[in-house]
Amino acid sequence: MSWGKYVTGALLIAVVTHTVCIYAAPRLMMNVAIERIGAAGFNTWRLADRVTPASRQIVRPSPDFAYSACAYDLSHGPVAISAAAWEPYWSLSLYAANSDNFYVIDDREAHYGAGITLIRRGARAPDGAETVVQSPSQRGIALIRRLAPTPAQYSAAADVSRRDVCASLASVAG
Amino acid sequence: MLRRVLAWAAAALIGAALGVGSAWATLEFGRASFVEHYGSWAHSRAAGSQAAGPYTRAIIARDGLLALSAREALYFTLSEDDQGRPLDESCVYELSGAPLATRWWSVTLYADDNYLVRNSDHAGAIDVSRIGADAVWSVRVSPVRGNAPHWLSSRGAGRNFSLTLRVYNPHRDFAPSAEALPRLTTISCAGEA
Repeated sequence: MSWGKYVTGALLIAVVTHTVCIYAAPRLMMNVAIERIGAAGFNTWRLADRVTPASRQIVRPSPDFAYSACAYDLSHGPVAISAAAWEPYWSLSLYAANSDNFYVIDDREAHYGAGITLIRRGARAPDGAETVVQSPSQRGIALIRRLAPTPAQYSAAADVSRRDVCASLASVAG
Repeated sequence: MLRRVLAWAAAALIGAALGVGSAWATLEFGRASFVEHYGSWAHSRAAGSQAAGPYTRAIIARDGLLALSAREALYFTLSEDDQGRPLDESCVYELSGAPLATRWWSVTLYADDNYLVRNSDHAGAIDVSRIGADAVWSVRVSPVRGNAPHWLSSRGAGRNFSLTLRVYNPHRDFAPSAEALPRLTTISCAGEA
């Protein structure tokens, strides 16, 4: 029995498995995060509970921030995303399905908050849309961080977060 | 015939195991190549950096999924004292430093399980707004506060806890170094003479 073809076969399978693992790992991790955040619905903001010693959702959580997350889905067209301004610091970050952070804006660039129209890369922007951002993937995560290290600041940030928008323009129009 | 089928099945299994193992090893070693050391502090360039290819992307996702971009924040972790010993609840430490060239910073204490320590001291993190941005500062890291003006509670942290320094909106002249970053000094440990 010749072992050469089996060794070659094993090596080929090793190369394919290795490549699939490397490509799939970030997408799998992001998919878990997208499904978790979008469990109760896509294209809507969710304010995470304040980080306390009892928090066990993510490792090494930062107690400095009030986090709002929106799992977006562009399958029904563009999504409007806005973040209300907050002192002393806020930022809006967008992450694609492969985990790339493809957009970030903070209070240094947008003193009065940010408002964008998110479209799929290559899609036509809606008429009149001002700040258009192209997403490399159909689904992803938008994240607003507001610096709020004390319970009082978190509570105030929670009030401000009610003005944030994450909504499909199709549902807004409909 | 059966021998041939078994041989191919074994080749497929060995190949798949090799593929998964080599991917894991690549990420593990690749991750280390992203880590920079400044004194006792470790900083991973992976968290918040831009992916340049599939390997970099996988390392970034593993080490800093949804992390802020490096332009927004830098993260430094300390898990040993000035003698290279693991941090221990039975010791009293002093973390001291000069003003940092950044808009805002904080230090958070994590237990060995990478979560905040389960205690009711409300002293798991401290930030520049409580310490002051313009002066040399120091924070006691210990299970009880005593007379320390600033305190990070290690009560219940046990052994192998760690500190994370988060530097937000670092100024252009912010240059991490062992001298520029805060220094942890061991004051005493229970049971030592």
